[in-house]
Amino acid sequence: MPITRRVFLRDSALAVVGTAAIPSFLARAAYGAAEAGSRNKRLVVIFQRGAADGLNIVVPHGEAQYYAMRPSINIPRKAVIDLDGFFGLHPSLAPFQPLWQQRHLAIVHAAGSPDPTRSHFDAQDFMESGTPGRKATDDGWLNRTLHSIPQSSPKSPFRAIALGPSLPRILSGSEPAVAMNNINDFSVGGRGSKPSPAASTFQAMYDHSADTVLHTTGEETFEAVKMLKAADPGKYKPASRANYPRGRFGDSLRQLAQLIKATLGVRVAFADIGGWDHHVNEGSTEGQIANVLSDFSQSLAAFWTDLGDLAEDTVIVTMSEFGRTARENGNRGTDHGHANVMFVLGDPVKGGKVYGRWPGLERSQLYEGRDLALTTDFRQVIGEAMARHMGNGNLNAVFPGYENQTGKFLKILG
Amino acid sequence: MRPFAPTLVLLLLCLSLPSAVPTVLAKKKQPSATSGPSEHRRAVHALNRLTFGPRPGDVQQVEAMGVDKWIDLQLRPERIKDSGLGSRLAPFRTLHMSPKELAEDFPDGQIIRQVMDGKKSMPSDPAKRAVYQAQIARFHEKKDRRTEAANDARSAAIRAVNATSGNGAPVPPDGSMAAEQGAEGSPNRPAGNNAMNATPAGENEAPSSPGPGTDSSMAPSADTKTPPADDPEARRREERLYADLEIQQLFNLPPAERFKKVLSISADQQIALANSLRGGKAQEFVAGMDPKQKETILAMSNPQAVVVGELAEAKLLRAIYSERQLEEVMTDFWFNHFNVFVGKGADRLLLTSYEQDVIRPRALGKFEDLLVATAKSPAMLFYLDNWLSVGPNSAQALGVPARPLRRYGRDSRYPRRFPPPHARPKGKQNSGLNENYGRELLELHTLSVNGGYSQRDVTEVAKVFTGWTIDKPNEGGGFRYDPLMHEPGPKFVLGHRIKPKGEDEGREVLHRLATSPETAHLISLKLAQRFVSDDPSPALVDRMAKTFLKKKGDIREVLAALFQSPEFWAADTYRAKVKTPLEFVASAVRATGADVGDALPLVRQLNNMGMPLYGAQPPTGYSMKAETWVNSSALLNRMNFAVSLAAGKVRGVKVDAAEIAGSNPPPVDSLSMLSIMENRLLAGDVTQQTHDSIAAQIEGMSNHGQQSADSGKRGEAPRAPDVDIIAGLLLGSPEFQRR
Repeated sequence: MPITRRVFLRDSALAVVGTAAIPSFLARAAYGAAEAGSRNKRLVVIFQRGAADGLNIVVPHGEAQYYAMRPSINIPRKAVIDLDGFFGLHPSLAPFQPLWQQRHLAIVHAAGSPDPTRSHFDAQDFMESGTPGRKATDDGWLNRTLHSIPQSSPKSPFRAIALGPSLPRILSGSEPAVAMNNINDFSVGGRGSKPSPAASTFQAMYDHSADTVLHTTGEETFEAVKMLKAADPGKYKPASRANYPRGRFGDSLRQLAQLIKATLGVRVAFADIGGWDHHVNEGSTEGQIANVLSDFSQSLAAFWTDLGDLAEDTVIVTMSEFGRTARENGNRGTDHGHANVMFVLGDPVKGGKVYGRWPGLERSQLYEGRDLALTTDFRQVIGEAMARHMGNGNLNAVFPGYENQTGKFLKILG
Repeated sequence: MRPFAPTLVLLLLCLSLPSAVPTVLAKKKQPSATSGPSEHRRAVHALNRLTFGPRPGDVQQVEAMGVDKWIDLQLRPERIKDSGLGSRLAPFRTLHMSPKELAEDFPDGQIIRQVMDGKKSMPSDPAKRAVYQAQIARFHEKKDRRTEAANDARSAAIRAVNATSGNGAPVPPDGSMAAEQGAEGSPNRPAGNNAMNATPAGENEAPSSPGPGTDSSMAPSADTKTPPADDPEARRREERLYADLEIQQLFNLPPAERFKKVLSISADQQIALANSLRGGKAQEFVAGMDPKQKETILAMSNPQAVVVGELAEAKLLRAIYSERQLEEVMTDFWFNHFNVFVGKGADRLLLTSYEQDVIRPRALGKFEDLLVATAKSPAMLFYLDNWLSVGPNSAQALGVPARPLRRYGRDSRYPRRFPPPHARPKGKQNSGLNENYGRELLELHTLSVNGGYSQRDVTEVAKVFTGWTIDKPNEGGGFRYDPLMHEPGPKFVLGHRIKPKGEDEGREVLHRLATSPETAHLISLKLAQRFVSDDPSPALVDRMAKTFLKKKGDIREVLAALFQSPEFWAADTYRAKVKTPLEFVASAVRATGADVGDALPLVRQLNNMGMPLYGAQPPTGYSMKAETWVNSSALLNRMNFAVSLAAGKVRGVKVDAAEIAGSNPPPVDSLSMLSIMENRLLAGDVTQQTHDSIAAQIEGMSNHGQQSADSGKRGEAPRAPDVDIIAGLLLGSPEFQRR
């Protein structure tokens, strides 16, 4: 059983640490695997861009109001995968069911950013900067957290990684972070084991360029390229039962798993999935939302399976910039709303439970008379993962201006 | 955030220090310290900012004409002859077709289904017919494959259940997965389809992924024609196998006959052909055919990809070859400002006209005209869903039939996805507001997110625009104002009462927005970000906004003011903007004077660099700021592209080493070559570091007796030494990433 294997690994890791002298090859070989305490913990953040419809994802099937407000796009009670008699999963989230049953998957409902904006752009910006309502913040919280988590030395160039062609706001900032679209293309002048002459020349240009912006990125890039070549993540094939669906999101997670398995020292990682902005014909058990949810859940479930023992140290948190109107609109879709649902997945997670306070869907309970009200600030959820899982003792630096009291955590993590 | 301004100061310091500049170049680039930038430097700067990058000889030409005069001319594109571009765009027939014609020649899944259901007749023209038949055959094929996959999955599940525990992992349904992957659009699918990769799952995606539920409706009618004695699926598969063999023989025919033969083979053979042409073979197969024949063959694989592909190719060709460079820069700017995503259903057919008829003719005109034209464009109405927005108290919502009822299914006013109101079950009426356009109009197109509007304003604006709709978007229908959808009564927008007057309410709101100081500020800010710097000085933006208001939103006047501003010519503006991927690719091709015969490989490069053309899904469009585009993945892509481009390894792009090196007899030694090319590709703006790094590499190579990768084996006339290597390194250098 996987659990026993995981426990065994944890014990052996401790045993290695307990030994006075660790052979240096062992330390080198594994940035992540054989290190003490929280140094090898990692956090994976998934952003559902476009404002996912939380009410059709984790469905409050015990609310009559839900069915009244969504005559044509509700998820019928008989189709919902019931969780606790009140909430249930959209049927396309079936791959999450075993994770829920094994108590690796927790849900926080009515969560998100407290800022009232209904602009995709602003709301995403706020959730990535970690300072809702404040636009002047110029770095992202996933970058800031690297200032104050325990880290190995030397720091791996892969400690912060975004899967995709550009570095997202959430990871921008003073700590080096790498954006990677495709592992196989991540080199200059071919994939040979030796650097091409062009690669060396470019490295010389960028490493010493007076252009600070390009210089910094260039330096990080070449360091990462070198390390990646040495680690050869291509040899880490997906685990046999990890069936990633085709598409960008599945590809991202498949490659992220490769990087993690290659023990490149990934501490924080980011991937996103678009296609949630269903103003028209959202669908219910089938249709647009069902399709994107299948992609979402199959990819995450495959990633989880693929990580195997390494899931021990991994916590995955999902978020979306805001929810959608509680009522369906005139086009069998939903417009921009407020609070949403977050998933927290991981071995250290106390799953199998829907956390947070449910605010209800009666008109008087809705935010501005139209949207699910917010009862949990996303920073509280992330803060808990930061503090308890990543060992970050300085949450005020991660989320400036937000009082994140450990006593108020939802106790999602053990 | 990494410090930005100090970078520029450092960079410029470096550039202006004689000791930091290769001695060969030092003379040329010393601007006199007191009298502002030299005319040469002004020319380089103007070209960097008003065009997609200087071509060989451009700087000298602009200098000769006079920089101010040249800028003036660029502001009046109608006075610039652009015949060279015309001949490059001539093969793309779709650029001149109306959305209606496009819908007919390049049908989407809805139209194909209508033909299959007998609601539309099969075109009689044999070329069109071939396209339709191939699509119908594809539907069947997909259905077969899904059935197979389902069967395989079922048997795999059974195997898994039967497998004894501890007997290793159950066999995954590999076979079915692999088959599926080969067939449908994988992310790296070849030619033409890439611009559509960004399509969100489940968008009106008909041909490539009909939503669940569509299968059952189309299956019966499809199979009735060929009553199967045995299993029809098996029969089709077998036919296709034979078809594969015959297709090989088609390659041996001369182009005209090849085409004729394609039209005469069976639909299954045609689809087998279409499948076998994936992976780069298509270009080979259509070589020598005329444009229409080419389009027909390509459309058999994916009709709409032809339209999108030609649009994307044309965009790159215009960026690279148009003489009206500023007009193209501004067309790109406005398209991005009024962004529409190509992956959203009918927009695939509507974008060609959107860019050609809505954006480009107004790119240097009045902002209000542009705003009104976008508001009425089917592309925008579709993208931001306004065409479906219905006033909650409108005649349509209240169920007042204004026209005689027709039987549902025959009502051609509505596409099949949207049954007409009277045919909808009660309680599920399509009778509500859609705020999508209203919100983006205020936030992105005009006032900006801080422009002082409320949620109530968004809702009221949405009411104002109810009734602004489209006739049958997937058939290429145009704008229509439908009073039955319009919300009656007055509206209150930004503190003003809008009297009920139907369509004109929208005009009134657009006028208010177009003349608002907030709008003037937002547009000025974005223009300054495009042409001056990521964080332009507020003083400059204020002055531009004043011009905007005074000149009634005349974009040409605002730009003229911008180009005369001291901020535009300031020393710290020079080469300070990081190029976007589009700017980088276009400028690299322009700098080398390359001949682009097929722009699709370049289009694909932009997909890899995270900037697929027309592929920005959110209405914000693409960022113009450095922070978005400077990251590891992007930098590596740029370096790799630079090296392949210069080495002539980008398919479809012919790079002539002699052209890069200059027409004079090339020098024999590589170092002199390097100096010449620094001048030609970067106007000499190369740092000591970059110069030395390249010099070290070419010296190292000559010491080891290495030659440039393929300089020996091409059997060409004597080539300048290491031109391709030097050019690749220069185009990938930090200096070339800025403009």
